Amino acid sequence: MTIRNRIIIAVFIQAAVICIICIFVYWSFTTVLSKLRAIEIIDDVNISLLEIRKSEKNYFLYHDVNALQELFGMGDAVEQVIQSSKADIVLSVGQNTYDNLLSKLNQYLNLSRSVIPGRAPPLDIETQFRSLGHELTSLSEKMLKQERKNVNRIISRTVITLLVSLGVILIFQLGVWQYFFHFIIKELAIMENLIRLVSKGRFHEVAIKPISPKNEIDYAIKAISDMANELEKREVVLLQSEKLAGLGVLISGVAHELGNPLNNISLMAQAYLSLYDILGDNEKKTFMADVITQTDRISKIINNLLDFSRQKKPELKEYDPGEIVDRSLALVSNQMKISNVKLRKLITDHLPRIYVDAPQIEQVLVNLYINAIAAMPEGGELTVAVAPAPANRDVIFKVKDTGVGIPKEVLPHIFDPFFTTKGTKGTGLGLSVSYGIIRQHHGEITVESEAGQGTTFLVRLPAYQNKGEKPDAQENPHS
Amino acid sequence: MPKKILIVDDEKIVCDMAKRVLEHEGYEVETFTDSSLALERIKEGPFDLVITDLKMENVSGMDILREVNNRYADTKVIMLTAYATLDAAIDAIREKIFDFFPKPVKIDDLKKSVKKALEE
Repeated sequence: MTIRNRIIIAVFIQAAVICIICIFVYWSFTTVLSKLRAIEIIDDVNISLLEIRKSEKNYFLYHDVNALQELFGMGDAVEQVIQSSKADIVLSVGQNTYDNLLSKLNQYLNLSRSVIPGRAPPLDIETQFRSLGHELTSLSEKMLKQERKNVNRIISRTVITLLVSLGVILIFQLGVWQYFFHFIIKELAIMENLIRLVSKGRFHEVAIKPISPKNEIDYAIKAISDMANELEKREVVLLQSEKLAGLGVLISGVAHELGNPLNNISLMAQAYLSLYDILGDNEKKTFMADVITQTDRISKIINNLLDFSRQKKPELKEYDPGEIVDRSLALVSNQMKISNVKLRKLITDHLPRIYVDAPQIEQVLVNLYINAIAAMPEGGELTVAVAPAPANRDVIFKVKDTGVGIPKEVLPHIFDPFFTTKGTKGTGLGLSVSYGIIRQHHGEITVESEAGQGTTFLVRLPAYQNKGEKPDAQENPHS
Repeated sequence: MPKKILIVDDEKIVCDMAKRVLEHEGYEVETFTDSSLALERIKEGPFDLVITDLKMENVSGMDILREVNNRYADTKVIMLTAYATLDAAIDAIREKIFDFFPKPVKIDDLKKSVKKALEE
């Protein structure tokens, strides 16, 4: 559901709750108003009945004929009021009470009419008369009291309901906003993470995220994912063009690298011929030995070139990073002893596993160790550390030496094919091959160095996500 | 008095071979595989001829050529290079150069060129 729709629904629910409260309040007020009207009428009736009883008392005590006349008049008037206000009274006290009141009044009035003015009525009539009058007033008083109680009850119920509703609305509001903040912040965190991956150039991890958009932020995430997809495609195109450019560098490098030993052999052969008569036997042997050395040099270049072009799709398996480090270190332990290099190994416990072609990664690490050892001709310390990157998504290998360091102007070229600072001893392919291998594993190889301060190489490899999804190897960028 | 020749090339074999052949021709030959040392040597005194490789670490053949031309008007320079490009040749010629040899060098041609340079 889109965030817009969720907000609309939340607002709608709130509006509905407010409407229900309004209806309830309106109903309460109309009830209270009709009750009050009924109270007023009953109050009038009550007063009139008291007046009637006063006249009744006057008649029986003082035998005042006028009082009896007044009683008749007021009785009729009260009866009329009760009948004309039937609807209000019935609504308020119910049909039974109304009928009871009316019948008692009728009885009372009928009885009063049976009294002959000027003559004292029999005692039993008088007693009946008084008791009926008493019943009438007490009934009306009881009705009045009941109605006042009802009104008070309705008002206090309304007040409580209003307070409770206010509380409910406040809590609902808080809940809704809490939900939206939580939801939006959570989605934003996903987005932030994806953008961070994009900014690091790890398009592959972003692009594979299967997203079926449900809301606005999902759409934004999908847009980022699509962008990463597109960037990854372009990167492949870029890699192709880089490959072509690299091919140019490679060819000119090969020409230069092979040109030197060829020139040497040619020079030696020519010198051999031209100086043949004056050369001693030993000198002739030295010439030929030198020719062999130079052809070996050519073979070495060709073999390295073959290794370089033979970079194949890695055969991936699950490994413990520490195991790979141990195996790679075993290959250079002797050389370290000879070169007076001390090893400092720091491997974090419970490392995430990696999904790699172990011989290839070992080749990369050995290459880094050899470079490090070469950078410390006077001996030094080689630090090899493995640690998980934040959130266990990556594993980072660190190879650090205390050697001569790499000058600033040289740094940008160290991954170029045939770039070497070892003169004729190096082929300039080691780091270039390493770079290719790490890229194929969707990793990253970076270097930090300062002349005289040593060099640190960092190799980042994605941790193995055991969810059935395996980082499939990229096509060979050098094939 | 034999003519003095300086040979600068980071390939030791080039230095050795050229030295042997040219000494056999009766010249006095000094060689350097480290071009920065060669540059220091040039500052110490003149040669009749300098043979230098173009592409070398630290100090390049062009640096050697400029240093020689700045200091000694009579010293000739022959340039060798592993891969001859037109640009490199043109740059060298602008800097006054006697001859230019792409590698692999033909020793007979080099001998002829040296002889011609030192006769002039």
